[in-house]
Amino acid sequence: MIEVRHLVKVFDARGHEVRAVDDVSTSVQRGEVVVLIGPSGSGKSTFLRCLNGLEELDSGSVSIDGVDLADAKTDINAYRREVGMVFQHFNLFPHMTVLENLCLAQKVVRKRGKAEREEKARALLAKVGIAQKADEYPSRLSGGQQQRVAIARALCMEPKVMLFDEPTSALDPEMVGEVLDVMKTLAQEGMTMLVVTHEMGFAREVADRVLFFDHGKLLEDAPPAQFFERPQDPRAQSFLRQVL
Amino acid sequence: MTRKHRRNWPWHVLTGVILVVMAYGLWYSTSLISYEWRWNRVPQYFAYHAEEAQRAADYGTVTAIAEDGESAQVTLSAESGGEQVLRVDRDSLQVAQGDDVSEGDLVGVTRHWQAGPLLWGLWTTLWISVAAGALGLLIGLFTGLCRLSNNPTLRDLSTVYVELVRGTPLLVQIFIFYFFIGTVLNLSREFAGVAALALFTGAYVGEIVRAGVQSIARGQNEAARSLGLSAGQSMRHVVLPQAFKRVLPPLAGQFISLVKDTSLVSVIAITELTKSGREAITTSFSTFEIWFCVAALYLVINLPLSHIASRLERRLGKSD
Repeated sequence: MIEVRHLVKVFDARGHEVRAVDDVSTSVQRGEVVVLIGPSGSGKSTFLRCLNGLEELDSGSVSIDGVDLADAKTDINAYRREVGMVFQHFNLFPHMTVLENLCLAQKVVRKRGKAEREEKARALLAKVGIAQKADEYPSRLSGGQQQRVAIARALCMEPKVMLFDEPTSALDPEMVGEVLDVMKTLAQEGMTMLVVTHEMGFAREVADRVLFFDHGKLLEDAPPAQFFERPQDPRAQSFLRQVL
Repeated sequence: MTRKHRRNWPWHVLTGVILVVMAYGLWYSTSLISYEWRWNRVPQYFAYHAEEAQRAADYGTVTAIAEDGESAQVTLSAESGGEQVLRVDRDSLQVAQGDDVSEGDLVGVTRHWQAGPLLWGLWTTLWISVAAGALGLLIGLFTGLCRLSNNPTLRDLSTVYVELVRGTPLLVQIFIFYFFIGTVLNLSREFAGVAALALFTGAYVGEIVRAGVQSIARGQNEAARSLGLSAGQSMRHVVLPQAFKRVLPPLAGQFISLVKDTSLVSVIAITELTKSGREAITTSFSTFEIWFCVAALYLVINLPLSHIASRLERRLGKSD
């Protein structure tokens, strides 16, 4: 479903180049849950952001269901509709209520009627367990609640793929569980998911595959059981020793 | 240290005392130069009772005078056969029944209230401010977005505009608009004045808008784009509403400045508040009184403006 071929992303940091994503190729099947792991600065977030065009590629190609992101003829907005994204810092729109947050893209992009979009929004809020907060502003919600709203907001567009960029890293420890539970439910329902995370427990339990990144390179691609028990790459071995 | 409950009212009383002392000092110093305060001359410059003379149109006689209340209805029969009916104020009646009148004779006057120069000036200042402010806001919004555009030409042009306007005095810009551009394009003085003020305000509003948009976290735009919104939709629905809330205080300051800067268009002979004040002084000689009134009239515009701005700020702040 997702095909990544020789993806390269270079940041120009004051004269010297940083190869944030360095010649990465992989593919993800429909319904697969892929967890991206690696030390900070290893390029896993940049890789994820390249998948929906938030970062422009320097070379290589990314395609979802055969639609090539690098092709100049591709409508980037249409492409992004099919790819939901959840951010580390939630990025809810603070000037709108929760319900308005969920309805904005449905109204502007999908052109859904008021009754239809609100019904959809309330159903998704119920699904992530915060139906009663529909008319609150995001600033009144806890971090965990905000992140669940952000997930519901992405789901409103009925994406084919969900990208999670460290969704629990900015949360207080007691709120991590509620967000991970929502993500597990999604995974069980067959959503195709790419998750950048430091939650090794989640990776072990939910992932179909684990990708290990370091210095922009994809170093290991294995099922979680094999990755956590018998990592092949020496850098993956030392990383796991530090975090487990 | 524990928090103590402080009593504030003695300090407010002290503030009042200081203001009273300052007012007294002002009055005392003017009495030293033997300035004679004549506030009674001022009201007529706001509104006055205008008299309009009613005159006989032809030779004839007064055939009837019907009085009702404050006014009187005078019927004149002309020698040539026509009849003229005039309504005048009763206490100004100059004729009695049976009098002969000749053409142009004063029969009486009618009085009505008319706005004086200061009120007209206030009105002119007000509409120039509103027109220049609305135009300036549009120009500023456009300029601010151009400054942030990816297109180098738009960016360059908007930068040149902002730097040119901010780097030259408004007074000079008004002269240029009136004497140069106004002459070349044959513009009226009001148009030249409003255009100069709007362009001046636009440059500053542009910088305020740019700063406001840049202050909104990049993640907001990224979240909107990742939902499939186009760049324009993201700007319109997500970034600008948040930016507007942030730039409201400097924007209000800019508009208050604009109201005061309209006093400069008096140099191209637009009779706004300041020029009306100067004209009122030439006939009344009450220099101090008129200038104090002019200052108060500017406050009459600006105090509600800043009140509205702070209320709007509170209303937009309900999502915080």
